[in-house]
Amino acid sequence: MELQLIDLTKKYGSFTALDRVNITFTEGIYGILGANGAGKSTMMNLLTDNISRTDGKILFDGVDILKLGRDFRRILGYMPQEQGCYAHMTAATFLSYMADLKSIPKKRAKAEIEKLLQITNLYDVRHKKLGGYSGGMKQRVLLAQALLGDPKIVILDEPTAGLDPKERIRIRNFISSLSSGRIILLATHIVSDIESISDQIIMMKRGRVVGVDTPENLTDSVADKVKETVCRPDELESVRERYRVGNVFRRGGETWVRVVGDELPDGGRFVPDHLSLEDVYLYYLGE
Amino acid sequence: MKEPKRILSKPKTVLALALLILANGVLFAREQVKNDYGLDTALPIGGTVIINGEYTVTQKTVDARAAYRRYLQWIDRVRDMPAPDAVEYLNEQKDALADAAADGDGDAELDYAAVNSLLPQADYINGYADWLGNIRANKESMLSFAIFGDPDSFSGRNIIKTADEFEKLEQVKLTIGADGAVDALLSFSLTDYFLLSALLLFALSFLSERGSGIWPVVRAAPNGRLRLAVRRALILLFASVCFTVLLYGTNLSIGFSLYGGSDDLGRAVQSVRSLGRLPELWTVGGFLIRFFLFRIASAFLAGLLLWLMLTAVDNVKYTVAAASFALAVEYGLYTFLPVQSAFNIFKYFNIFTYISLSDLYTNYLNIDIFSYPIGIRSVSEIALFPLCLSLTAACVCFHCRKRPAEGRDLLGGAAYGVNAVADKVLRRLGLFGMELHKTMLIQKGVLIAAIFVYAAFGMSYAVSIPVMSFAELAERQYTSEFAGAITEDTIARMDEKQAELEGAIAAYEAAEADYENGLIEYPMLDKYSRDAESAKTQIEGLSNVRARVFELKNRGKSDGFAPWLIDEIPFESVYGGYAESNQMNAALLAVLALTLLLAGSMAYERQSGMTYLLRSTARGRGAFHVRKLLLAAAATTLVWAVVYGLELRALLTGVDVSVLRAPVQNLSMAASFPLCCPIAAALALLYVCRWLVLFCCAVAVLFISGCARRTETACIASAAATLLPSLLYAYMGIGIFRPLSVILPVAAMPILTPADGAASAYLPWLAAITAIAACAEAKMVIRNNSK
Repeated sequence: MELQLIDLTKKYGSFTALDRVNITFTEGIYGILGANGAGKSTMMNLLTDNISRTDGKILFDGVDILKLGRDFRRILGYMPQEQGCYAHMTAATFLSYMADLKSIPKKRAKAEIEKLLQITNLYDVRHKKLGGYSGGMKQRVLLAQALLGDPKIVILDEPTAGLDPKERIRIRNFISSLSSGRIILLATHIVSDIESISDQIIMMKRGRVVGVDTPENLTDSVADKVKETVCRPDELESVRERYRVGNVFRRGGETWVRVVGDELPDGGRFVPDHLSLEDVYLYYLGE
Repeated sequence: MKEPKRILSKPKTVLALALLILANGVLFAREQVKNDYGLDTALPIGGTVIINGEYTVTQKTVDARAAYRRYLQWIDRVRDMPAPDAVEYLNEQKDALADAAADGDGDAELDYAAVNSLLPQADYINGYADWLGNIRANKESMLSFAIFGDPDSFSGRNIIKTADEFEKLEQVKLTIGADGAVDALLSFSLTDYFLLSALLLFALSFLSERGSGIWPVVRAAPNGRLRLAVRRALILLFASVCFTVLLYGTNLSIGFSLYGGSDDLGRAVQSVRSLGRLPELWTVGGFLIRFFLFRIASAFLAGLLLWLMLTAVDNVKYTVAAASFALAVEYGLYTFLPVQSAFNIFKYFNIFTYISLSDLYTNYLNIDIFSYPIGIRSVSEIALFPLCLSLTAACVCFHCRKRPAEGRDLLGGAAYGVNAVADKVLRRLGLFGMELHKTMLIQKGVLIAAIFVYAAFGMSYAVSIPVMSFAELAERQYTSEFAGAITEDTIARMDEKQAELEGAIAAYEAAEADYENGLIEYPMLDKYSRDAESAKTQIEGLSNVRARVFELKNRGKSDGFAPWLIDEIPFESVYGGYAESNQMNAALLAVLALTLLLAGSMAYERQSGMTYLLRSTARGRGAFHVRKLLLAAAATTLVWAVVYGLELRALLTGVDVSVLRAPVQNLSMAASFPLCCPIAAALALLYVCRWLVLFCCAVAVLFISGCARRTETACIASAAATLLPSLLYAYMGIGIFRPLSVILPVAAMPILTPADGAASAYLPWLAAITAIAACAEAKMVIRNNSK
């Protein structure tokens, strides 16, 4: 199973939202990192054929997804960033409706819906109208619908936004358990979500892919690019102006700053054993 | 805090308020036209005709608008006359005009209707002094009875109070004038409910923070309690002023423009017949000012009460249910409790007393409060200020004291149970079923459908066609008698009838000779004479039928259809020129219902943020759109079946079904029908064509809906496209909108009556092509998006 993006380009007038992106996805979880406007959602919308591409191809097992049409959408599970749902439907009805739209036979749909409602911890409120759900609950319903029909390609745009830490871990672990035999694309701002479960991280900036690698390799790549140094509170602004500053924290009564970049302060210490994807994000994608 | 701006920034609220004002104005104006401007337009000329197989008396009427212009002229003529002289003069004129009208003088007919309608007003003014005298006389006579005579009883006090109150009117001078505007203002009760609806919208908008979940935030804000509550009370007061002026002001302006009378505001208020029981020395103008002020205050009171009821319960849905229940109880008491009831206090101390204000001015009534007669109007007026004050305080208190976290969702468990059952049903529905569910239940289409069905049943589908002469009456009778396939037997029967009638004439001639010879008395001659007169008229009618029979025979021979003599009145009354307005109304209702049912369909998906999600599913494109089209077809079928089913029923109640086998060319209106087929087939073609045009219209509405982001926008845009040109053409008479007027192809009358104009015949097809183009365009947009 292979999903290929070849020179994929999307332009809105003179603005290029996605610029000649070339990636090949195989089975596994892909975390897509990027700031707002980096082109993550555009890529997802192109993959779901919700917007028309300006140039390039998207091939699934060598066949363009436009040619596959309905057959491609049959193996697709999509969770959009926008919390769209019918406020006057209950979770159970909404999922039944989505199952119908996905051509899932009724009997199988019933079993799947019950299972997904249990997994997303919504079973006890399944007959409540979605309009009365909190943001986190809606998010879980949308995730459940994306996973209906055992899709081979799962596209999740900010799946854990609005969830409490416990739910986030629960959902993250569930997504992780799905990875075999599937391509899962997961776009998020919450770096820790993809750090632990992604096989590959795709970093996007201004419509371009600026890096694709495993989380381990990416963190290794910034091993000598991260330093922690003591900083007086009145110097903090000037440090921020000179360097790319990550966390600011207190330790032993002193203020420490974590600096990321090619140019680092003379003092301080490298932290090769405590690197995170946040450092990678700041190094590659931070302004 | 910009509360008014927040309320008026909601498109739904603004749209609903605008629609209320528009609907009020349109319905008020239509009501006046429907009521013939308050005139009795019937002339003393009529006859008996067979309609729907029964003899019915019909009366000739005149054009109400033209008659009303004469009415104003007659008012000017008698305005300065003493009332007895005016009555005498008008009576004389009425008799003279009746004779002239019988001779067919058109001007006399209009004048007769005007004078006949003015006489009751003149009689009333003439008799007003006597009526006051009777009240005085009644006081003396009734107090002499033991049961009424006790001055400490309610009855005794009531008699004395009534006489005292009307005593001050003894010197009042009543004058004839144009009262239509004031009468219409007082009698059009729908405006009271439009005002109540407007205030309900405002009261509901005060609850929006509960629905949107920011109630705790609003309460936690420094100005979110007392200041917000006071501000809302002021907004409600301001809304009461604005909407009273807008709604009743519109009615009064339309009334003055239709009826005149704006120069007569200085007359004593009792000059208006409906206000004759108002024991106050007011002028008409003074009354109107008081009416508006009282209306504003009572509207404010009603608004406060609604707000209080809605604030009292936490859940918005339950509050609406509770408020509806309370209002229903109040309305029941107000409407059904008899005036004489011991509990009549609940009838008058009722919110609907303040909603239907007119009754307070048009009726004089004292109620028993501790054996003292208290005028219901006075007590209502006096109670208004303290009631407003206390309700404002209660509303403010409730607003400040009600805590968001305290409310218990008492019915939440039950609702969850109901949802569980509903889910079981909905799970079994397919895509189409779910689309139907979304349209009918989620988007409240069922309400629109119910209102539509109610309106459809209330509409008229057949007009009665007046008879202009006795010969025409006879013609109708003979057409009915000889109806059927035209054969030699038909002609033989007609000849037989003719001979019989001629026999009556011959008998009269013989009787004349006998009378001259002294063989018979005058009464016998008179009988022969009347029979002969009747026979002449009937022969005239029979000749017309004979001419029609021969014309059909000849045309049948040349055009190749079997000639039938058909009673065309039922067809004319449903499809003919007289019924054009009915046709337009039916088409407009059908298009309106379709537009409202379907306008939100596609826009709802976008508004819910579901578009991208739907399009990413296997059946979220083609199959989904096919279901939407099927939904449009189902809605079209429902609307078509109701409106045109009722129309067909109206036809079939007057027509023998066997007549539908006759070739359609036998109907005068369908003489140029291009296909030689039975009437039933032609009607089937007409109704199929109507369905097609309605369906195209529905598809166009779906297309417009697909272009809108919100359901409200879709409703406005669809209504603007489908209804506005039709309204401007058919109801305002602006000719340039004819090509865009969709109700013309929906009515599709050129199908049946192609001779009405070649251009008209193309209208249905033009509309169909337009809608199909819209459909194709929609499909193209879908395709383009998916590439």
